[in-house]
Amino acid sequence: MTRNSDVLSRRKFLIASGAAGLAGLAGCTESNEGGSDGGSGDSDDSGSDGSGELSGAIDIAGSSTVFPLATAMAERFQKENTGVNINIQSTGSGGGFANYFCTGQTDFNNASRPIKSEEESQCSSEDINPVELKVATDALTVIVNNDNDFIGEGLTIEQLETIFSAETAPTTWADVNSEWPDEEIEIFGPTDASGTYDYFIEAILGEEGPDHRQDYSATEQDRTIIQGVEGSEFAIGYMGYAYYSENTDAVQAVAIENDAGEFVAPSLDTALSGEYNPLSRPLFTYPAQESLAEDHVAAFARYWMENSTSKEIVADEVGYVPLSEDEQSEMLDKLDSAIEAAN
Amino acid sequence: MATQSDTIEGFGQVSRRAGIIFRYLLMGATMFGIVTLAILLVYVANDALQPLTADPGWYLVFFATLVAPATLVGAYLARTNLDALKLGALVVGTLAVTLMFSGGAAILFVDIVPPLVSLSYAVGLVVPFAAVVLMTKYEDQIPFTVRVAATGAIFFLSLFGIPGYYHSIPEMVQKIPVVPTEWVIVTFLLGGGVSVVVGLYFARLRENTRAGVVAGVAALAATGLFAVSGLFTGVNPTALAVVTAGAFVPTAAYAGGAALTREHERVGLLFAAVVIFGALVGAVAVDVLGFAGPQSWVDWQFLTSSHSGTAENAGLYPAIGGSILLMITVAALSFPLGVGAAVYLEEYAPDNVFTRFIDVNISNLAGVPSVVYGLLGLGVFVTYLGQATGTVLIGGATLALLILPIVIISSREAIRSVPSDMRQASYGMGATRWQTVKNVVLPEAFPGILTGTILALGRAIGETAPLIMIGAPNVLFSLPTELSSKVSAMPLQVYAWSSLFASEDFYTKAVPAGVVVLLAVLLAMNSVAIVLRNKFESES
Repeated sequence: MTRNSDVLSRRKFLIASGAAGLAGLAGCTESNEGGSDGGSGDSDDSGSDGSGELSGAIDIAGSSTVFPLATAMAERFQKENTGVNINIQSTGSGGGFANYFCTGQTDFNNASRPIKSEEESQCSSEDINPVELKVATDALTVIVNNDNDFIGEGLTIEQLETIFSAETAPTTWADVNSEWPDEEIEIFGPTDASGTYDYFIEAILGEEGPDHRQDYSATEQDRTIIQGVEGSEFAIGYMGYAYYSENTDAVQAVAIENDAGEFVAPSLDTALSGEYNPLSRPLFTYPAQESLAEDHVAAFARYWMENSTSKEIVADEVGYVPLSEDEQSEMLDKLDSAIEAAN
Repeated sequence: MATQSDTIEGFGQVSRRAGIIFRYLLMGATMFGIVTLAILLVYVANDALQPLTADPGWYLVFFATLVAPATLVGAYLARTNLDALKLGALVVGTLAVTLMFSGGAAILFVDIVPPLVSLSYAVGLVVPFAAVVLMTKYEDQIPFTVRVAATGAIFFLSLFGIPGYYHSIPEMVQKIPVVPTEWVIVTFLLGGGVSVVVGLYFARLRENTRAGVVAGVAALAATGLFAVSGLFTGVNPTALAVVTAGAFVPTAAYAGGAALTREHERVGLLFAAVVIFGALVGAVAVDVLGFAGPQSWVDWQFLTSSHSGTAENAGLYPAIGGSILLMITVAALSFPLGVGAAVYLEEYAPDNVFTRFIDVNISNLAGVPSVVYGLLGLGVFVTYLGQATGTVLIGGATLALLILPIVIISSREAIRSVPSDMRQASYGMGATRWQTVKNVVLPEAFPGILTGTILALGRAIGETAPLIMIGAPNVLFSLPTELSSKVSAMPLQVYAWSSLFASEDFYTKAVPAGVVVLLAVLLAMNSVAIVLRNKFESES
């Protein structure tokens, strides 16, 4: 019944708005530069090419230990290069290599231990060449509950080995040291996808030594480890120093007996001086040489290395030991030759 | 209430105690979940909004300008004319919800899809649509198959062209050397579309074409005016045009329409006016008098910046944009599939073992845990089809699979609630089954279908597990701009903050703020669904 008037009004309306539109178009136009290179839309949206000419996506996966450092670097790089999209995922070093990096899904893989030979062969079978860049030094930190006063000065390597070995696998603290309480040990730690786990095995249990016990609460979320240890008086766990440094009130770090027989608590200073051993370790990121052929990936890798000596970012904000000037120039040389080889 | 016993000689005693205890136990069971959740929400909202940090003067000003007058008018209306109060509240609610959604649309136009691209696709759709309308006029002279083939060909050619030989219309439009500025495009594209709707609405209300044209032109002019005002005040004119066309104009049109037609209730608009002007006057007064508001973590900075290593500077912007894109993808995939399946199962499918088997399976699929769907997405899209992990398309497709059973079930419910008398009447007039479905069943069931779909989208927007499974990044710094870019979503960002950034700051600032934003979006979506359902129920 009203259909007729609908049609009429629509037509009139279109004419009216069309006329108004033409008038507006005459006044408010700009020359179209963005559209000339096709509708790919990836880089040419006008919102994002403000400050730099770099554009594209960088995908990063890998170690949860390096994750906060990568995030801090990406945040700063992104501010200067708004056209670059950086996506970071925390998957664990091994998980990142096996599922993301060596399958060509990501451009960088963070790792809290050097790449393994089987990972290298998996990558090379996919024609991906990882370039090893050291980004910081970490003090792998063993934590216990704040109420734990029975371990005294600290733990020895042998005690740590006993606690975490699959062969001895003590169920109570008294099994480790008969003077300690007869209470069940609750163990929290990273999963076997984690480089922290791998490094702990290498440093404490030894390559040829016993296996890491598997009856513990394994998680890739370091916060869960902290919460677990915080909540139980007889718990123990280990993880990267950065997470501990954010939560020094919640748990206490255990001093570890070093090769000189001294008990040394983890800190940036003791990790740098080498006193905190054997648990201080290098952290890495592995860009794929093939990805470095792209300008924005190379620029980010270079930015990271140039800021790897920054105390403000690496130590104060994230909580790792920055590289020394010598290490930095070595890494920059390595990166430059890799970029050259890629192009 | 005290227990009582009535003694009547010869009938003995009946105690009401057991019944009363039972009643209050049931009430306790009803309230348990709600109260627990309410306590959690108050706790989170307190962390996020920090209401106690505001100046007393700030509260005083808003009490004087907003709360007191609104309460007075509201109480008066509640006693004299409840329907009017409902109308007024609905106008305020419409403004709030449309503001939120048009804010999302503004993100889309400013940072994700450049207006020129939208314009080019709009033109690319209008041209074949016009051709199809033209063809429908001569429907009797063209054989059906030719018509279908021609329709398909016209749409394909104008949207995709023939690569290498013939440009598609969007490509041609994007190559035009001189184009309007972005806000002009948006003003005419969105403002134009909205004003056509507004014009038609008023033309129908007043049964007067002139009124429609006047209303439409006024709507377009308002959109243009707001956009132009952005040029002088420094606010992004594109965003202003989107918000005006998406929130102010529809709200004003609804209020205006109600003022014209609902004589008994239009006094309720006074309530809406008091609330809106009270809020504006309060905001200006607080600014002039220099009273500080609460140190809320949900602020403009939080909504518009990306992740940062310090909780104070962290923001939700890429996650908001990601959630919007995901929801568009999910809706585009699950709506046609789900409604199609529902129509088939309700209207066409014979009742045999096979369809009953499908029935049971769809009901079961609706209860499958989301992490399983995540695994399905990972297995099918990433491992089997070899797509990149964590993109908008993969995330959207996985979430669409997740809510598909829910969409099917709720759509079937809506279709089933169409009285069979209507179908029979349609058949009785000689209509075919297709005509009956098209002209009777679907229009009647549509509000119900829409309600179900919105509620299902509400479930999808809160899902985290499937996105983790398909490898969506924990942190990203810019909005996804196309279907193949990596995507984050609001719940995923909240999860990343709560698990990967161990500091207490993130836990007490960024996480509650993210939760509050997520819940606000969810409530807005659900309120749209509820309003639709109520309107639908009162009409039928």
